[in-house]
Formats: sequence, C-alpha cells, structure tokens
Amino acid sequence: MAEVQTIHDVACGFCGLGCDDLTVEVEGRQVRATAPVCPEAARLLRRLDTADPMARVAGEVNSQADAAKAAHHILAAARAPLIGGLGVDMAGAGAAVDLAIRFGGVLDHYASEGLFRNYAAAQRTGWLSTTLAEVRNRCDVLLVVGDDPSATWGRLFERLFPATPLFAGANRRVIFLGGAPGEKASAQLAGANVVHHATTDAVAALEALGSLTAGRRPPGGSFGGIDADTLAGLAEELRNAHYAVVTWNAADLGDGDLVAERATALVDTLNVTTRAGVFPLGGRDNIIGVNQLLLWRLGYPLRTAVRGQTSSHDGTLFATEAALADADVLVWISAFRPEPPPDFGGKIIALAHPETVFDKEPDVFIPVGTPGVDHAGTVFRMDSIVSLPLGALRVATLPSVAEAVRRIAEG
Amino acid sequence: MRLRLKGGRVLDPANGENGVASGTVRDIEIEDGRIVAATDRKADAEYDLGGAVVMAGGIDLHSHIAGGKMNLARLLMQEDRRAFPEMPGNFCGCGGGRAVPTAHATGCRYAELGYTTVFEPAMVGANARGAHLEMADIPNLDTGAYLVLGNDDYFQRLLAAGAGQEQVNAYVGWMIEATQAFAIKIVNPGGINAFKFNARKMDLDEANPHYAVTPRKVLTTLIRAVTELGLPHPIHLHGCNLGVPGNDETTLATILATEGRRLHLTHLQFHSYGTEGDKRFSSSAARIAEMVNANPNISVDVGQVMFGQTITASADYMSQYRNRGLASPKKSIGMDIELDAACGVVPFEYKDKSFVNALQWAIGLELFLLVEDPWRIFLTTDHPNGGPFTTYPHLIRLLMDRDFRNAQLATLNKAAQAHTLLAQIKREYSLEEVAILTRAAPARILGLKDKGHLGPGAVADIAVHTEDADREAMFSTTRMVFKNGRLIVKDGVVVELAQGTTHVARPEFDRSVDKDMQRWFDEAVGLKSKHFRIADGELRHGAGPTILKCEGVAS
Repeated sequence: MAEVQTIHDVACGFCGLGCDDLTVEVEGRQVRATAPVCPEAARLLRRLDTADPMARVAGEVNSQADAAKAAHHILAAARAPLIGGLGVDMAGAGAAVDLAIRFGGVLDHYASEGLFRNYAAAQRTGWLSTTLAEVRNRCDVLLVVGDDPSATWGRLFERLFPATPLFAGANRRVIFLGGAPGEKASAQLAGANVVHHATTDAVAALEALGSLTAGRRPPGGSFGGIDADTLAGLAEELRNAHYAVVTWNAADLGDGDLVAERATALVDTLNVTTRAGVFPLGGRDNIIGVNQLLLWRLGYPLRTAVRGQTSSHDGTLFATEAALADADVLVWISAFRPEPPPDFGGKIIALAHPETVFDKEPDVFIPVGTPGVDHAGTVFRMDSIVSLPLGALRVATLPSVAEAVRRIAEG
Repeated sequence: MRLRLKGGRVLDPANGENGVASGTVRDIEIEDGRIVAATDRKADAEYDLGGAVVMAGGIDLHSHIAGGKMNLARLLMQEDRRAFPEMPGNFCGCGGGRAVPTAHATGCRYAELGYTTVFEPAMVGANARGAHLEMADIPNLDTGAYLVLGNDDYFQRLLAAGAGQEQVNAYVGWMIEATQAFAIKIVNPGGINAFKFNARKMDLDEANPHYAVTPRKVLTTLIRAVTELGLPHPIHLHGCNLGVPGNDETTLATILATEGRRLHLTHLQFHSYGTEGDKRFSSSAARIAEMVNANPNISVDVGQVMFGQTITASADYMSQYRNRGLASPKKSIGMDIELDAACGVVPFEYKDKSFVNALQWAIGLELFLLVEDPWRIFLTTDHPNGGPFTTYPHLIRLLMDRDFRNAQLATLNKAAQAHTLLAQIKREYSLEEVAILTRAAPARILGLKDKGHLGPGAVADIAVHTEDADREAMFSTTRMVFKNGRLIVKDGVVVELAQGTTHVARPEFDRSVDKDMQRWFDEAVGLKSKHFRIADGELRHGAGPTILKCEGVAS
C-alpha cells in the first residue's frame, strides 16, 4: 500500500482564477484534493489508480512513437491544419506554435469566444482595467454584470473579499446586475453589502448607468427592466466610490461584446473624477497564457493562421468553427480536461486528456499528462499579468504536450 | 573552437584602442566564445575583415522588449504588426512589427544593427515570470530586466511605518532575487501608487494621499538600498512629472536630492521641459546638461524622439492617463497591477510639423550634444516610447553629422526651430564616442566586466561595420555579427539564431524578511510568496540565468 502524502499550497491551473493554496492527498497514482478547493478543481484534480490508455492510430493500439510518426505523416500531407483546443501550459503553447510554423496552421483556443467579445471593446477604444489583488484590497463598489460567476469560478468572491482588505474598509458594496447571487456567492459575500437588480437587458441597463454616471439622464422610465431612479441611485454610488470595479463573463453573455463596450465606457467616465477598473472574467485552461505567447511570438492574438512563413490574424475567419470549414486536419490539444474535439469531417490528431470520450475515433490519439498533476508547467491567471508555476503531484507516465509535439515534429 | 577575425580596425574605447584613428589593423582571436590573446595556433575558421571597423556588440541599457505592457501594445496596435509583416528569407514565420516587434523580430533586428545585449527597463514584479518567458523567446540577445519598485504598497507601508534602512534593504534584496532582476527601476516615485488613491500629479516633495510618503523619500531610500546591497547599476529613475512643461525644476531638484550618490536618469528628454515662450513649452536641455556635467554621480540616457508612428508603454499610468487624450490612433489601455505598479499604453505619432514634437526632438539632441562626458550618457529612444530602436542609425548620423542635423532641423516646425539652440551647436560625435555611448559606457554602468570591450576575457560579442561616410548607412547594417563567437549576421542578414542568456544580480540580504513576505502575500496579495518567486530553472528554457554576485557594503 502506498502511503498517503499530503501536499499543501498546490497551484491550480483550470479556471483562470489562479488559486494556489489547495491541499491535495496523493496515494500512489491516486490524487484527491481536500480543502480549500472548488468543486471543479476537485473533479479535475481527481485521479484514480487506473492504467493510462495507450496511444491509438485509427483505433488500433500503438506505441507513442508510432502514433507520433502517423501524426507527422498526416501533417506533412495536410493542406490546411487547424491547431485547436490549445488547453496547454506555456511549454505546450510554445510547442503548438512551433508546430504551426513547421506545418502551417490556424491557432485557436476552444474557449476564445469570451476573449474576443472583450477584445471587440479593448481593441477599438482600449480600456482601463485592474487585477485581482487590486480588486481584493481597493474595490469598495463591485458591479457584477450577468449571471453569478461563482458557478464557473467557485472561489471568486472568497478571493476578492478577504476578511481584512487593506483599503476598502468595511461594508463593501456588491451590485449584481442580472442574475441573483447563489448560495455560495452569498456565503462568500457575507461581510459585504449585497444588492441584486434583475434585468432583462444588461446592455441597456449598463448603457443607461453609463449615461447617468456621466450626468446625463437618458429618456425613458426604465432600462432593461430596472427603474431609472434605481439606476440613478447606482450611478451615484459608483461616482462616490473610491475604487469601483465592473466585472462580467463575456463567454456567458450572448452580447458580451456590448457588455464589454458599455462597461469600458462606464469605467472611462468614472476615472475622470475617481478611480475604477474593468475586471473581465475568463482564463479557462490557460487561454490567457496561450494568447500572451502568441502575441509575443507571432505579434497576433489567438485566431491566427501561420502559412508560408507568414502569419495573419482574423478574429472571425480563424475562429475554430469557421476555420474548421476550410481545414483538412484538426490537431486537437486538451491537456487540462477531457474536452472532446468538435464535430469535424477531416482527419483528427488528438493530443488529449486520457479520459477524453470521443464521438468519433480520432485518426491519431496520443494521451498526454495534465500540467499541475503529471508534470510541472506554467499558466497565466485571467488578468494576464500574474502567472503561476504548477508542480507535479505524481510521477508522469504520459508525455506532456510539449514532449508529444516534439515527437510529432521529429516524425 | 578557435576563430580568427583578420585585419580589422579595432575600435575599443574601454581598452583605449582606436584603430580607426590610427589606421592600424589587427586580428582578433576567439576561443570557445571568449576573446583571447593572439596566438599562432591554427584557427577552426578565419574571417577576413578587410579593414572594416570592429567593435564590441552593442548594449542597449533601456529598451522595452518584454513584459505584459508590450503585449498590451501589440494587442492594441495590430496596425503596426500588419504594416510590418515578416521579412522574406527569415527562419520562420514569427517576425514582424516595428514599434512593437515580436520577440523574434526584436532579436533579429537588434542583431542586424550589431547589438547583442538589451535590458528591459520596467519589469513589474507581479509580471516577472511572464517577462522572463518572453525574454527567453528573443533570439540573439542577452537580456536582463530592471524591477519596478517604489510604488508597491509593501514598500510604501514600510516607509510610512518608519522602517529602518536594513528592513528596506532586506525587502529590496528579496524582491531582486524573487523576480530574477538585474537592477532597480523607479517609475514616477510614489506617483503610480498615489494615482490608485486618485491623485493626478505628484511632485518631488508631495505627500502620498494615503501613506504621506514623498517621492524624495522613496528615491533616497532606494538609492541607499541599492548602494548598500552592492548592486552594480545605480537606481534607474524615471522621474516625477514626465512630459509636463516645467518638469525641468523637478529634474534639477532630483539631481540635488541624490547628495552625491549615484543615480541614473532615464529618458531625460521627457524630463527637460521649461515653460518659457508664448506656448509655455520650452527647452531646458542646456540647464539640465550643465547640471549633469557638474555632477559626476549622475548618468543619463536620452529617450530621443524620432518622428513617425509609435506606441508608448510605461508603468507610469498616472502620466499615461494624463496623456491619453493625445493618443493617435485614439485608443489607449491602462491597468492597475497587484498592489505593485501599473501600466499605461498609448499609441503616439510624433510629427515633424508639430511644435511640441519638433521641440522634443531638438531637446533630445541638445542633451546629447551638451552633456560632455560620453561615459555618462547613453543612446536610447526609450524604445518604443520615443521611437523604435530601428531608428538608431539615423540618430547616430544626427549626432555625427552637423550638416545633416541642421538640414533636418530646417524642415521642422518653424516655431520649434526658433526655440532651440541646436543650430548653433557645433559638436559632432566621433566614431569613438559612438562606441563609448553604445558599448563601453553601458557595460561600465551595468557592471558587466566581460562585455562592451574586445580585450582578452571578454565575451565574443562582436559587430563589424564597413566604414561609410554616411553614418546612417554605415550603422544600418553590419558586415558580420558574432554572438558568443558564433557568426549570427553576415552581410546584414541573420544567418543563425543564437540563444542568449539573462543577466541577474544576486545581492546578499537578511533572509529573515521571508517570513514577513509570506504573510504579506497570503493576506494582502492573495498569492503564495513561494509562487511569486521565480526559480533559476524557469529562465531561458531551463538554462537558468547568468548571475552577477553583488558585494554589499556594510550597512
């Protein structure tokens, strides 16, 4: 029987919030997180003492080396590969870019929709933003737009509302504009002054709030179902705040691009007289880190194509769904979770989590280890500034994405 | 591996050699990446230099090449990337951009100009890991980074609580080690912090609205800290009131505040503005240069403005927010960062017909020409803030060729011409002085003993230029560039990619501070201090840093 090893201060790379105080028990091959941990991290860190799946080529069990050779052949003959998923640590991201440079290909992350909704605002006008530790200590009025984000970021409000913030003082205000805070959020916000305003149209409400904050009263009695006087009261609160913060999850909002734009405008107005920042939520499976790496290596964010020694970016054409229409090979990379590849008629090379359930057997399946479980790695937090070193919790029996890609490149 | 570079005119001011003036040629011998004394042993390879000018590889001590703000700039200025696509014949598809080139293009363009070492001057601690990952992807260059300190709440709290110098020194030492930094940079001392409390300006003796700490206190405390820790590079200061007319008084007061201790004033051009004339904007370069000349403890780099489109990226969010109305194109990004610092990214087009921009150009050149000691002034454009580093050859010609300079001046905004004494300045830089500005002097001020010269023991980072009376043409290309003794540029074209190293400084400090750092990170930052710390193996794809051990003085 293997001894139970308790590891403290484990960093977690799944949701983008970057918690690094987890306690994890490791018993031989088994891994289980104890506390503090959110349900999603507990689920994704859990490992049983089961044998790793073998690599497969056309459904037949194969060695990792032969699978890499088969993948190399497919890529060498590919006309337009899409390198998607991209749930990888920084070393894996670098390897994916190398692969695109070697064989050509479009690069996109499976969770990039929210990021590009935000970029619609960020690239047109820019924005004034802030990071976790600033929100945690300075924010005295937090405006949460959309649904309660606790379902995705289980410890968000715990992290943002510590017992003794440096500057924000007692009675911090949290305004939910959209969905009501759930039980978990309410518990984590027990020390804060929470108010909820349901709305049928967050964009309209946010836009009116922006106008009111700027001192203009837009015509109309209610906006998105919220009474104009109520919104005027909220505008007053925001104006009187020392450090107001607006947060939203663009991936979860159909009109996330408009929410991002209105939030940006509101924060711009506030900064004329007081301080404020946007704090956009996101960051799943190191999407921010992968995007950072693309920016410094290619000069473009995700949704970039590398072809014939040049790269080009198009946020619409090179989004996974659109790019798949033109692709003949999909390299699907997902190391953090068993995220299956999208429906695709061409050849699929999957560098994937061992528990991935495929609708259709990929042409090549190479199971890979998980950063922060099987091997060390680096991931970025959602704010794009802070990155975390993930450690290995057990001895790796599967290659990392970086290793697997290197083998494919070598053929 | 032994190489011999035959028949070059060696220009090596650090060792007092000027083959250009004397007309003598000699060989340079390299063994395993280092320069060695000449032998008669057979070389593995020989290169005929045919009398070309041989210098040590260029060292840029202030150029924004990595870190989150550069990625924000890339994100915001996709126009720049699209306008400057990959150059043909490169090794891969990952080069492009001019104001904010990719990591790959940065390494290649610098190498083509004969530069082999570049320092990122504004690494924010919270973003240090990302900055190091990015630097590892820059080919051909050795790098290093200055840690932005002085606006962080931990430090401000220390000062507000009246902490002793020893406590400050321990903190600074811990931060340098944790972030794998080479030196300490102060950006708008205390001003970035004050902006988070809604202050909009911060003078040298103005109290922080929350901590009541003054920029002067921040500056003098950190000057003492780096002195006592024995860091080779003095405090690298981006002073108060950047870009504000009348900041000349602040700059002069800042020099006096050092009381004779070493201080580096960076992008001095942006801090040399008076308020004379009907436009209330004038050059104070002469006053400031005079003060620099009289104070041998002061070194400066210029941050020359070059006309054209660029993008400015700075930790000085207070100043960048103030200037965002001048953005061109009209968009900008600002960010408060982690109880640590901030950043502001504002695209900018410097126009030769603009009074202010033309005068900024002239002020930079006045500083270059009026500061007398070439060992205390460095050639920078504060890339990309005053202009991209690829404009250096043009800048060198402006310094070396008075007729050219005056011809350029004559095309600028007329009112600006009337407000500068540039046309009267006769000085022309010599080749030797350019070599000092771009090689010997930066190596000296950075404490890099095996760089910036061509004596035995030096790293074999070497640039070979064919002499040309048109100095812009001469410095626009290189005949050969060697990195660690490997030929990486031939006839102006990158022929091989070398992996550089990252320089870090390692001072001794009182390690009992670690306990307090753990508490601070747990409670305030919400991150474990051990995860903030960057391990050696995280640098340069596992190769680790090149460590410069510091000899501290007794405190």
